[in-house]
Formats: sequence, structure tokens, C-alpha cells
Amino acid sequence: MALSEKAIVCACEDVSVHEIDLAIAHGFADIESLKRYTGLGTGPCQGKSCEVSAMRICAQRKAVPPEAQVPFRARPPLQPTPIAAYAGLPDAVIGSRVSTPGLRPTWGKGAHPLQPRTPLPERADVVIIGGGIMGLALAWSLAGLHAGRILVLERGYLCEGASGRNGGGVRAQWTTPTLIELAKESIEFMGRFAQELGINVWLRKGGYLFLAHDDETVRRIEYGAELQKRHGLPTRVIGPEEAGGIVPQLDTSKFIAASWNPEDGVVFPWPFLWGYADGARKRGAQVETFTRCTGIEVSDGRVRAVETDRGRVAADRVVIAAGAWSPTVARLAGVALPNVPFRHEIVSSEPLKPFLGPLVSMLGTGLYFSQSMRGEIVGGMGDPEEPPGLNQASSLRFMTRYSRALGDLVPQLGAVKLLRQWAGCYDVTPDHSPVLGETPGVAGLLQMSGFVGHGFMMAPAVARRMAEWMGGAQDEIFERYNVRRFAEGRLIQETFIIG
Amino acid sequence: MRLLRLRFEYDQRRSLSYENPPVLRIFLDGDPIDAAPGDTVAAALLRAGVTTFTRSIKYHRPRGPFCLAGSCGQCLMRVDGVPSLPACRVPTADGMRCERQNAPLGVERDLFRAADFLFHEGLDHHHLLTGSRLLGRVALEIARRLAGLGELPDAVRPRLAGELRFAKLAIVGAGPAGLAAARASGAGTVVLEREARAGGAALLFGQPVDADVGAGELMLQTECAGLYANDTNLQGNALLAVRQRDRVLALLAERVIVATGGVSQPLTFPGMDRPGVYAARGLLGLSVMVGRKLAVVGEGEEQRRCAEALSRRGYEIALVSGVPRRALGNPVKALDAADGTRIRCDAVAIALPPAPLHELASSVGAQAHFDGNGFPVQTDEEGRTSVPWLFAAGTVANQPGAASGEIAGRAAWR
Repeated sequence: MALSEKAIVCACEDVSVHEIDLAIAHGFADIESLKRYTGLGTGPCQGKSCEVSAMRICAQRKAVPPEAQVPFRARPPLQPTPIAAYAGLPDAVIGSRVSTPGLRPTWGKGAHPLQPRTPLPERADVVIIGGGIMGLALAWSLAGLHAGRILVLERGYLCEGASGRNGGGVRAQWTTPTLIELAKESIEFMGRFAQELGINVWLRKGGYLFLAHDDETVRRIEYGAELQKRHGLPTRVIGPEEAGGIVPQLDTSKFIAASWNPEDGVVFPWPFLWGYADGARKRGAQVETFTRCTGIEVSDGRVRAVETDRGRVAADRVVIAAGAWSPTVARLAGVALPNVPFRHEIVSSEPLKPFLGPLVSMLGTGLYFSQSMRGEIVGGMGDPEEPPGLNQASSLRFMTRYSRALGDLVPQLGAVKLLRQWAGCYDVTPDHSPVLGETPGVAGLLQMSGFVGHGFMMAPAVARRMAEWMGGAQDEIFERYNVRRFAEGRLIQETFIIG
Repeated sequence: MRLLRLRFEYDQRRSLSYENPPVLRIFLDGDPIDAAPGDTVAAALLRAGVTTFTRSIKYHRPRGPFCLAGSCGQCLMRVDGVPSLPACRVPTADGMRCERQNAPLGVERDLFRAADFLFHEGLDHHHLLTGSRLLGRVALEIARRLAGLGELPDAVRPRLAGELRFAKLAIVGAGPAGLAAARASGAGTVVLEREARAGGAALLFGQPVDADVGAGELMLQTECAGLYANDTNLQGNALLAVRQRDRVLALLAERVIVATGGVSQPLTFPGMDRPGVYAARGLLGLSVMVGRKLAVVGEGEEQRRCAEALSRRGYEIALVSGVPRRALGNPVKALDAADGTRIRCDAVAIALPPAPLHELASSVGAQAHFDGNGFPVQTDEEGRTSVPWLFAAGTVANQPGAASGEIAGRAAWR
């Protein structure tokens, strides 16, 4: 069989010139989007042999101006490095710690060189601040209800925030009825996302396996499984032996029971944002990237306009859907949200042939990992010592803690190499439940935040209900999850938080 | 000092020009292959005439080594039960078992190469079969089974403890710039070099290397795997993950000079990714020859320099300028040059200026910018990057040679 004549740019991921041209034609010429859309630079060499060729093509096509001709954010390690090697790092690396500054932008100071030059509209009916999955899903849902002129403002490229930085786990195993229902509906929608929005999100239902290491955690998963069963989920509490049958590589001496729902799964997060953005645009909404919100005008108890680094847009309704940046944005309107941002780190391994069905999570340590459609083991782990802050830098501390925890639970992964680590920010509320609805005292300023690192798996349903509620439908969740609850002491405690 | 330099030149000549008789035996997919001591797995296989090392991840195209320096990912192989190791970096050992990956029916008969044929321009996986839920599920199952490269490792690898070290100044890379920087600094400097010898690219071209690091310490076969802002409460601005074989050490440093040099780059044209196309610098460092007649593709000084050095190695050189129209054969045995002439050869060497290895510096936030050949790290006249404790010198900062290293070394030591 003759070899085809395609010109390969990225040999690790088999990305051809034609595929790069398709991405550029689609508007993904900035190097971060080009990387995500084509997959170039995400293989074993991490771009060392393709990034220059790809940028040369972009420059030749005049797809990006010289100021935007910067590398994509380089991610440690420099070379694939085994889990067992990281696990052996000295304890000092994971001892007491200090906070570090975040990373500066790759392009330097000031507005992004790809910021559009065209003016924004003077007026919109709804301005959504934040082009993550929440904001984009809402824009698509609102536009489907003909809710007027909708404008989404995203400060970076699509996927720059947490929606582009998560591990893609989606589950309905929650311990509050509302979250179970939101997740159920969302996962159901993800199953037909490709037909609705025209792009593959590769939902793979391999299940979620929560491991419990002590009696108190076993009681928690038993309570959760009971509740989830009442909501029609097939969740069961199983013993280590059965869990070992599902994932034979697990060291079953490390846990005493597990919560198992075979219908949870993993998705590929990025296409959700592209699909929703394209879909919203097709329905007439405007999605503006590289555009920063710099102020929110409020007078006489009403929101009036949004200030941006591209001018002012008058609006009667403004939605804050900025994830971990939501408290910062809300402060522009003089509103204090109780949300606190926390960095959460994550890492991807070399691509392996499929062996791991479910996403596995250890409830005690917050370790979780799953195998992506591309074969990588993608996982993370919470850090009780993590200081609050909008820090998206990577740390060696995380690599050490994660490698130790993963190597202990799945010893056979010791010689597997880690390829790429990165970080995103969780948007954490005091009761681990979201903040939804209208801001007390500021009519028209709506909140859609506080999803504690799990908004991705609820966005389709939350956005549908929010759009309908904004259209006048009754929906009690926008009262119950109102930010007012913190002042009134009506907390809604969610306990199944991982990472 | 002079003696040391002589010894280096001797070692260098020996390793670059010898053809020792094979005395080791390794196994490729079960078949015995002879190897010489000092051969990497890639060298042994190439000597035995093996050019297809793996099948590519998506289109199952045949792939063989390109950069021969551990940075491109085209020669990954399962070695002694460990998946996806770069064959060009693994030294041979008697009885070593090498297996080619991602070709369930054998690398030569791989049926999945039909993907290359079916998607002859490329594959738009985002929009593949989105119309039908059922077909989408089928595509998902197929894609899932085809994904990935290696199988899980055979054996459990235990944790190997790495220690904690401190340095006033850490220099990454012992090429001419890194070595000069070390000499311009003082005691408390540590120089990390991933190769077994200092000298970097200068060794490939037979240039004299002053491997003196002054009062500093040179750590060979030691690679910086990651550079981080120090978040421990121990002294130092920077925290380096330093790899020595299967361990990683933690190195805390007040200041860091990145002198990592460059990475050989491919050129984009049809067939360029096939076996038989190598980086010119990679061939210069290889212990075997890959034929007699080499088509050396490239431009300017780098092409001239590489062609001269390769000719000294015994290759017969055909210079090719411009971007070829296509490479033909598997392994590649001919090129159609830009002007349409067909050039027959035993192998192709690509001689483009190496692209700055900016990754360590830019991962902590140092600015880098495209200049047509790569993304050199931006520095001021003393080698300072946009990160206060981080300096860059040599090729990585687009200033090849010792001079920029000496300046950065002095500034970083102040």
C-alpha cells in the first residue's frame, strides 16, 4: 500500500499541513488554540519538533501578527519522566511551603496582540462575563430562546480557563439531590452533543470508582449510593475484590470499599467550548475572545453597563460566569462573593494502550485519575496546604505528591512517564455548592459561579435552566442557591468534592 | 587543562568515527541483532538495516529516528518491558529485548496503515461522523482501541530516592555558553549536562572545547527535567527537578542560567516524516553510518557546516536547497528537489539551524519570540530574562558561542 503524500508537521500526533490550515480557517490561529484544536505539540516530544514548523506556517499565511508569534505555554517536564522517579523526590519538596507568584502572559504586557480591533456593540440585552463552559452554554441556550442580543466576553482564548484545564471527568455521583439531577441531565446531553452542536466530545462511559479508605468515608459513600439510587442511578457500594476486578492494577489493600457507578464517564473537554461557541454564534450571539472586562456600572440598585478594554457596552442584564475569577469580577460591581480561588494541578502521562475503564478517585487524599481517549493517564490531586489565589503555575510539589499517591495505589505505573503538567483554578464556595441567581441589591446582575471544580459536568443543565429562568420561568434553584444563603446561614453542604 | 582538552578530542574522534566489531546481541521483536559496545539501540538497529522503528499514532505511517538526540519522539520503542523509550538514547546491553509498538500485526504488515490511505490529506476527528449517535459510538470504540502507543510496563518499578541539593547558581547545559558562564562564576555553581561529556554542539563539529568549569561542579548525564519557582520554605529562588537515570533530585538555586542550546528541526514537505530522513546533527553524533550518499537539505551556514562535517565522516554529499517537493521510498531513497530534479540517495539529512530549546525558561514565564527559525528566549544585554532570577545564554538566547555565556555568568554571579 503506497504511503499518502500528506506533509506531516507534528510527527508525534500525526498532524498534517492540511489540518493546520483547517484550524486556521476555523479561527484557531493563535498558537494555544492551534495546539488544542489540532493536537500538535501534545505528544511525547511536547512540541520541540513541530512548534517552529507550525508557527512558520502561521507566519507564512499571515494568520497571526508578529507580536502574537510566541510559543504556547511550555509545560514541565522537559522530557518524559517516570512516576517512580518523581515519587522518590526528597520530603523537603512536599514539606511546608510558601506561595509563589503566578505566571505572566506568554505575549508580554498589555492587551493580547490578537485582541480584535472591531468595536463592541454599544448595547446588548445580556452580557456574559466569562467564555468558559458556563458562559458559552448559557449563551447558546439563551440564543435558542431568542433572548435578544447576547454578548460573551472572554479575556483569553477559548479553553484558557478551568473549562480547558480539567481532566474531563463527568459523573452523577453527588450527595445533594440538585447536583445529581443537574449532572444526570448534563451527561445525557453530552451523549448527543455531537448531533446537537456538530462536534465530537468523545463521551466514554467507563464509570467512576470512588475508593474509601476508612469507616467514616464508607458511611459517606453508603449515604451517597442510597441517595443516588433514589434518583435512578445504578450506584453500588462494592468491596475491594470487586473493585479489583474492574481495575486489576489497583492495590486493593489500600481501601476497604468503593462506590461504583458504571454510567459516569470521561469526555474531551475542549470541543465543548468550541461547539457551544460556534453554536451560539450560529444562533446570533456574539462571542468575543481576548477581551477583558474592566468595570461594571451600577446605579440606583441596577446594573447599567460593562466596561471593557474595547469600550463600554450598555446592558440591563450581566451574568458573571467567570469561574475562579468571579469574585474579582463581582468586586467591579461592588459585590463581595464568598467564593475563593484555589489552584488545582493536574498531569498527563505518555499515551498508553487502553487498560483503564473508569475514573478512579481516592476520597481520602483527593487523588483521581482516568485514561483519556488518547490513552494518556490524566490525573490530579488536591493539596490541603494550597494557599488561596489565582495561580496557574505548575509545581514540583504536586508532581511528587501525585506520583507517590498514584504509585502506591497502582504500582505497575511506576515506570510510566509523565509528559505534561498544568494547573487551573477551582472556584470554591464555603458549602461547596454553586452560586446562582440575581445578586441581592443589584438588579440585573446575575451569578453563575462557585462550581468548585465540577462545573464542567453540570453546565449543559445549569445553562438550560438559567436561560429558561431568565426568560421568566419559575425555578427554585435560583432562590435556593442564591448568594443570600451565606448571609442567612442556609448552607447546602456538598461532600463529594475531589481534587 | 591542555591534557584534558586533548583527551576530549581523542574521545570525540573515537566515538564519532569508529566501527567497532559487534560483540553484543540484542533482540528486536524476538529476532537477534548484533550491536557494538557504545551503540545506542537506534545505532544498532540502523547498522542492521532496520529503519522502521514504530508506526505513527494516528495514520500508522512508518517512522524511524529523526533527531537522534532524544527530543523528537519518532523512535520510541518498548525496551525490556518499559514502553516508549527513545531508542536513540538507550545504550545497548547484551540480551536487551526491544519491541516495536503500535502495530498489532507486526510493523511491516500493520493493517491500520489503511488510515493513512483513507484520510489522505488529514483527518478532521472533531467533525467525523457527528451526524449519527450510533456511528459516533462505533467511531468512539474504534478510536479508543487504536489510541495510545505502549502497553503497560511489565514490572513494578520501585521508588528510587533522590536527594536534595543546594547551589548558588545552577547552569543548565555544558555547551560552550554554559561552560563559559561557569568559568565566569565561582564556587557554589553547579553545571548540569545531559550528555556524558561537556561541549554540546561543538563536539559534533570537532571544535575544541574548554571543559573547565572553574570552581564550579560539573554533573554529567544529568538533565534538568523541570524548572520551577521555589515554593518550599528552603533557601533559593528556583527549584529544579534534576534527572539522573531513574532518579530525580531536587536542586535549589538562587539563580539559574539556561544554556540548553537548540533542537534539530524537521522541514515540512510530503514524505519528510518517513524513515530515512534524519537531522544532520543527529547523524554527526551517531556511531554508525546510514549509507554512503546523503542528500543534505537546508540553507546557508548550517547546511554548509553540516555537509562538511558529514563529508569528513565519509558520506558522499548532494546539497539540496529550498524545500523539496517530496521524499520518495520507504526508507527514503530519493528526493524531488524544489526545481523538480530527482536526487537519488541512501538517506536524507535535514540541516536547519537548531531551534532554541526555550521550554525550561518559558515554562517559568520567561518571554520568547519567533524569529523564523525558532523561539529564542528574550534577554537584556547581560542575559537577564523577564524572570528576575533567570538568565539565558548561547543558542537558546540566539547568541551561540561562549561570549554570551561569559557575560551572563558574570551578571548572574554578582
